[in-house]
Amino acid sequence: MVHAREVDGKTLTLLVSGKLWRNSLVMQDEETGTLWSHITGEALEGELVGTQLEIVPGVHTTWAEWKAGHPGTLVLKKSEEIKASRYERYFDDPERTGLFRANWLQDRLPGKTLVYGLRSGPHSVAVVAELLAGGDAVEVELAGETITLQQGDDGGVRAWRADGSAVDVLDVFWFAWSSFYPNTAVVD
Amino acid sequence: MMPNPFNRRVALATALLVAVASAAVAERPEPEVHGTFDGDPMYTVLPVDAIPAIRAPEFLNGEAADGQMSPDEPVLGVEIAGESHAYSLWQLDSHEIVNDTVGGRAIAATW
Repeated sequence: MVHAREVDGKTLTLLVSGKLWRNSLVMQDEETGTLWSHITGEALEGELVGTQLEIVPGVHTTWAEWKAGHPGTLVLKKSEEIKASRYERYFDDPERTGLFRANWLQDRLPGKTLVYGLRSGPHSVAVVAELLAGGDAVEVELAGETITLQQGDDGGVRAWRADGSAVDVLDVFWFAWSSFYPNTAVVD
Repeated sequence: MMPNPFNRRVALATALLVAVASAAVAERPEPEVHGTFDGDPMYTVLPVDAIPAIRAPEFLNGEAADGQMSPDEPVLGVEIAGESHAYSLWQLDSHEIVNDTVGGRAIAATW
């Protein structure tokens, strides 16, 4: 995910707090010590409670696809050679999900199912990622609006309203999405 | 089930700290509860900054980056005001957060 790290005119440096909430990352800013939820961007504890980090659209794709779509891109420099994820086994093992069972974990899908999540106020919908893998467009209803999701030329999935305006999409495992949005609709 | 390459490519964000934490928690079966938020406990699993976020990122252009990236390597990409930055998820495994500025905007890319 990508968050704006400016709140009330102050630029924050976000660190890994070492805390987990609803099986997901909690960030802590160096300037005020406020704890922030990764999934919602909301301040949970500290001076900046009542504020929220704005979510900026970012996409997950492969290096080849991203470069083809963004030839002028810059790339974070590696300080050493890294040839694989440290967590291959974690991703490949359907039994390993979060550490802690959330209060409202939903069993409607296997925990490791990848979904694209959309939210609007109290409304949320999860679209099973496999539906979009072939490049097909999928339309869903969210808070009374029709939203279209589709994988773009750079490999990233985006979502937009009928008027073309972008809607934030979160790609996430079902166990994490359902911990945050227990009443979510599901498109599978 | 989904084929593996796709799985890796879009695999998620929030799970990673969990994976790192697994070992720590295995040795300490009852993690410390920091507090309860919206009815759900927040656990302290590691000290702050034990997984070091990147504070001063350095970049390569796309051509130079081909030397350090595999074509099928999963990335998080962001474009703001015509400026594009990509972050290897394999690299972010060890950092989780990059504090960056893209298109004049201060952002945090997280994994």
